[in-house]
Amino acid sequence: MAVGLTHYLALACALFVIGVTGVIVRRNALIMFMSIELMLSGANVAFAAYSRELGDAAGHVFVLMNFAVAAAEAAIGLAILVAIFRLNRSVDADELKTLME
Amino acid sequence: MEPILFYLFAGLTLLGAVMTVASRSAVASAVWLIFCFLNIAGVFALLSAPFLAILQVLVYAGAIMVLFLFVIMMLQGDTMPSEGLARRLLGRLALALPSTALALIALAWISRGSAAPFPEPAPEGFGTVAGVAGLLLNRYLLAFELISVILLVAIVGAIALGRKERSLPWQ
Repeated sequence: MAVGLTHYLALACALFVIGVTGVIVRRNALIMFMSIELMLSGANVAFAAYSRELGDAAGHVFVLMNFAVAAAEAAIGLAILVAIFRLNRSVDADELKTLME
Repeated sequence: MEPILFYLFAGLTLLGAVMTVASRSAVASAVWLIFCFLNIAGVFALLSAPFLAILQVLVYAGAIMVLFLFVIMMLQGDTMPSEGLARRLLGRLALALPSTALALIALAWISRGSAAPFPEPAPEGFGTVAGVAGLLLNRYLLAFELISVILLVAIVGAIALGRKERSLPWQ
């Protein structure tokens, strides 16, 4: 019953898929952003698991990079959302079709 | 002990993730996401990464999610427009099928190997603040500097986007 790399990778995989599903299924841009954070977290778990398996903390450094990228993504993405909300009074991704018309 | 803790944290993480995607209101989504991140911190602790576990709580579950909650409350409170007819929702779920199939293939590939436990024990100083900082400031110094440039760009970009439209420099 020992828990190894496989189990952690399965968890990472499941987190990533739930995130992908969220981005595709939901139309609320805020929840889509949160789903993207879930996908990033799945990658983080995979990094940390391989780091433990190989006994090399380099994976932890990449998780740190991922934290910074997630923070930057959240800051910029939410600023864009606020700008869109000012324009449309809505954050429904289906109503964003200015570039399609 | 470790398998029990792993299944506990993994189960709660997946519960939080599913509820994040499935919740009707954005505030409920954000709170479930915080719950999910706290459990991922537990998973990091099980992977002998105490530094990552602490950062996960402070940076992810703390700072980033507070930013999300601020914006949610600013934009729409805890109500949100309905997501359309159930038929359209089903169509979108069908869109999610390819990614699920891909993930199942990936899972099958992952579980090909035997479920061997991790090599015991972790090396000396593995995953501590000193261990990670040593790597960060030596082998990965360039990446560290580049990531701070990314953060700087994000700060400038967020300020530029957040200003009133009329005061944008190109208008």
